[in-house]
Amino acid sequence: MKRREFIKSAAAAGLALRFGPGALAGQAASPGGPSVLAAVEGESPVAITKEAIAALGGMNRFVGKGDKVVIKPNIGWDRTPEMAACTNPEVVRTLVELVLDAGAKKAIVIDNTTNQAKRCYVRSGIQEAVKEAGGDMLFVDDFRVKKMALRGEWLDEWEVLLDVIESDKIINVPIAKHHSLCRLTLGGKNWLGAVGGARNQFHQSLDKAIVDLAAFFKPRLTVLDAYRILVRNGPQGGRVSDTELKKTVIAGTDPLAVDAMGASLFGVEPRELPYLAMAKERGLGEFDLGKVRVETRKI
Amino acid sequence: MASQAAFFGLFLYLFFGAHYTGEDYIGSTVQRFFHFDPLLALITILSARLVYAWFAFSLVTAVATILFGRVFCGWVCPLGAVHQFASFAFKKTKFLRPPREDKASLAPKYYILLIVLVAALFGLDLAGYLDPLSFLTRSFALAVLPAVAEAFSSLSGVLYGVGALGPARAISQALQNWTINTTFIMGVSVGLLFLGAVALNARKERFWCRYLCPLGALLGLLSRWNLLKLRIDPEKCIKCGLCTQHCETQAHPYPEETWKSGECVYCQNCASICPTGAISFRLSAKPEKLSNVSNIALSRRKLVLTTLFGIAAVPFFKLTPARKRASLKLIRPPGSLAEDKFLAKCVKCGQCMRACPTGGLQPVLTEAGPEGFYTPKLVPKIGYCEYYCSLCTQVCPTGAIKKLTIEAKNEIKIGTAWVNKSRCIPYVLGKPCIVCEEHCPVSPKAIQLVEHEATLPDGTTAVQKAPVVDIEVCTGCGICENKCPVMDDPAIFVTSVGETRSETNRLLLDLSAGPSDDPYK
Repeated sequence: MKRREFIKSAAAAGLALRFGPGALAGQAASPGGPSVLAAVEGESPVAITKEAIAALGGMNRFVGKGDKVVIKPNIGWDRTPEMAACTNPEVVRTLVELVLDAGAKKAIVIDNTTNQAKRCYVRSGIQEAVKEAGGDMLFVDDFRVKKMALRGEWLDEWEVLLDVIESDKIINVPIAKHHSLCRLTLGGKNWLGAVGGARNQFHQSLDKAIVDLAAFFKPRLTVLDAYRILVRNGPQGGRVSDTELKKTVIAGTDPLAVDAMGASLFGVEPRELPYLAMAKERGLGEFDLGKVRVETRKI
Repeated sequence: MASQAAFFGLFLYLFFGAHYTGEDYIGSTVQRFFHFDPLLALITILSARLVYAWFAFSLVTAVATILFGRVFCGWVCPLGAVHQFASFAFKKTKFLRPPREDKASLAPKYYILLIVLVAALFGLDLAGYLDPLSFLTRSFALAVLPAVAEAFSSLSGVLYGVGALGPARAISQALQNWTINTTFIMGVSVGLLFLGAVALNARKERFWCRYLCPLGALLGLLSRWNLLKLRIDPEKCIKCGLCTQHCETQAHPYPEETWKSGECVYCQNCASICPTGAISFRLSAKPEKLSNVSNIALSRRKLVLTTLFGIAAVPFFKLTPARKRASLKLIRPPGSLAEDKFLAKCVKCGQCMRACPTGGLQPVLTEAGPEGFYTPKLVPKIGYCEYYCSLCTQVCPTGAIKKLTIEAKNEIKIGTAWVNKSRCIPYVLGKPCIVCEEHCPVSPKAIQLVEHEATLPDGTTAVQKAPVVDIEVCTGCGICENKCPVMDDPAIFVTSVGETRSETNRLLLDLSAGPSDDPYK
């Protein structure tokens, strides 16, 4: 129930944002209020993650007391952190800590991996980081995958991970990477790890699939790890020379704005990514960075 | 009993440890048990003409047997423990009532041993099928553990169904954490053979150990000179015959002169069942007559005949096309020796299949000829070879799969991927799909994308990126085939050609080692 109410209120907020920016006193759009998007650059992944969340008004803005929060990083590959195929474990660790400090009852970390699940969880460093931070690491459980109505434009229904959807808040924590089909994999594509079924068939119309999934999951917060990004041989790379250090974390409440800013790290214009334009048309957010309140910091 | 339970526990513990524990290198697993097995040591050395250093440990068992008889069978062997427990259970439940005196011939196991030895001389390794450690490990890896895991998985489903989320989740998470493979081609055959072997105990106590076990036979022959002898105190003996009736292995303790040292496994049943405590085991240096070792008619005539049959049987195993030309679907684990050496060393224990984190290693049925039954192959449709994993190479007990570091393993090619352009989505349907390319683990990728113009049924054309394999970079890991969205017959598939271990299953002559300047040098 809580989740459904949340989706409703989020949808209402979305409408309000579109049609009446002034109506949201004290919310994201009010002058002097917290930003919609924060990009922080610095040496420590922990510090820049903390700073980015602080710039958005702190974790208390997104997580309430007793919430069950799902944190969805990209743990898709059996690769160590320096390969930049999976989300930086320190970013995930920091978010788990922040979520629990904000009073959440549980911080659950889960991903439907492509390589063997345990190998991905262990070698990405994320399992250890999450456990140390007091979060719960869950493997995808066949009994906890259920076909649900997505009511997307392309995907009418699909198998969804119940452990993701049966939560109070979702935080999307993708890593910025090259991808040979959708060009860049950022926040939107990260949802492929929150569903089951024959995901490899999404690729026949990947942009549409990304938008349908993004419209369904609606994260409370998106934190894009761009500490080390993958610039070629994506989405898993394999050599350190396939990566570039950007030492940046981009966090925001508007998932499109986060992806748009992520794209700029690769020198890619947001309008070159079809899924962003499609998502904007569906009212999922704004990718024109000139239209959103952005805060950039360097620490 | 305590000793058997301890060794069986140790076996299970080591067996269970043979999986991805979270460490890249998992150290000692159940293969250590195999290294103490003189039968496997002997057969492997004979058939492969190679000495594997770890088998030096089997001398411990051999010397122990020479000194103290078949203590290995009665105190250590984990399959013996299974049979003894099953026999005990069948006796308690009255399914088995041992006769006063059993006169069945104990000879079959000696003939089995002889045939295995003769075959090994001709380079044919048959030991793995009936060696107790191989048999038990294979049964547990391919049938018992998977079945138990499936049962727990179902239980988890039921618990979810009734709303017991906590326990349901605990079970399913634990199963994934232990990476237990539950899918094996014809795993049912392995399971039924195991059940059959256990069920035989309802007919005779320790049926396997009495009549079938080639290792038991070998140890029986070694125990001829053993010092630990049965002694019945004639003053206490009341000639009740209980000792002979309840002897697990038909060693016939009463009367003392008929006791067969080569059959006794020192289980102490006779001593403990004797109502007057007349039976004890003492050290004595008197050797047994060979005929009395088992008291079987191991006559020269029959031995010669069995040997001749063994020799005659060997050529039948060679009547297979497997030796003429490589089989396309026989993708051996990385580090496997060249096929003839591999077959001569593999004992079909299934440890590699247990350890494989994706479950891609499967028992071979026909591709490798008759002697290759139950040897491992990679079936990419079921599971692929994980790029950063070398577990199968670490757990092999005989070195049929050479132990490799992960770096060394990634230098090895186990096969080559091929695109079936008549099934591939961009090639045929003109729709986008790069799934194989995105999963290719090497960098730069062995699958590259090129623009391809597809002609559709209505005559229009569509241009898409389509996969092309760079066979010099491809390792044959099979993840492309595994992840291909064309479900029934993947549009990209791996065959064994180009595998590093073979000098004949080659594709291009100039793939490795640059040519020397002077071809006549």
